[in-house]
Amino acid sequence: MTPAEPVAAVPTDAALIAAWEGGDEQAAAELVRRHARALARFLGGTGAPDMDVDDLVQETFIRAFRAVAKFRGQCRFRTWLMTIGGNVLRDAQRRWRRSRLVPLGDDVRAADGDPHEHAVAGEAEARLAAGLERLPPMQRDVFLLRAQQGLEYNEIAAALGTTPGAARVHYHHAVKRLKEHMT
Amino acid sequence: MNDDATVHDRELQEVAQRLGARAAERLDLERMAQAVVARLRAEPRRRAWAWAGLGPTWLRIAAALVIVAGAGAIARTWWHGPAPVAGVVVPLGEDLSGLTASELRDAIGALDRPLEDETGSGVDVGLEGLGPDDLRALLRSLEG
Repeated sequence: MTPAEPVAAVPTDAALIAAWEGGDEQAAAELVRRHARALARFLGGTGAPDMDVDDLVQETFIRAFRAVAKFRGQCRFRTWLMTIGGNVLRDAQRRWRRSRLVPLGDDVRAADGDPHEHAVAGEAEARLAAGLERLPPMQRDVFLLRAQQGLEYNEIAAALGTTPGAARVHYHHAVKRLKEHMT
Repeated sequence: MNDDATVHDRELQEVAQRLGARAAERLDLERMAQAVVARLRAEPRRRAWAWAGLGPTWLRIAAALVIVAGAGAIARTWWHGPAPVAGVVVPLGEDLSGLTASELRDAIGALDRPLEDETGSGVDVGLEGLGPDDLRALLRSLEG
């Protein structure tokens, strides 16, 4: 009698998605563990206040799992999550504007660690964040997916519904404008 | 020039990679995973409630339509007056059992007449067939 075939130690995202669609909640939990930090970094980059990142990450996963049937593997699951995250953040920003609640910016929020060190290290980040806020959403998303997440243009284009050439153009426009803003 | 641009690009990338890093590090993955699973578990119930919620919505729409239709019918009746009165040949409540087939046909034909005349000349059609009591009743109803 041959022993049962060992289960793959690290299931792929596709396998976890299929398992979740079959009702396996732990598959969904594993996808959250696997991608939540990258998603949080992306959301932080797109202008989400630190204090709201948890809620936005959670909402993004909920929307993603509800709409997972629409995910056809056109790009990586993580990239798809980030496009959903971008929409979740934009919706939240609209609500904040309507309710006139302005989330505290990093510059006025209490931060852990040495304030001076934090201020010096955070100066460039704050300038970049401010520059990103002024970019059109497409340029901002392309820039972050490329510069922060290290994705290829093909992957970015598939996720954002554009062509690799257009994604490249968006990236270069974004870089040009951000450099102008930061100098 | 190119080297300078590359350095700037790299710096930009480094800064971009630091964005959101603190929020990401603070994230409690296990808690997040459990929170998401809990919400997903609650979703079917929410869906059921959402479907149940459709009921009252449709009922409200149906009720609104009924009210509109009813109001329309009342307004139409009020506007045109009690039309059936104008064409009544056989008063309501009269025993029809003694009528012959040809008399019944005549009666039905008389009842049809006001409907045919609605698009035409109005309430004065068929008044010649009314008796004094019927005319008084009609006048009272027109006076409201």
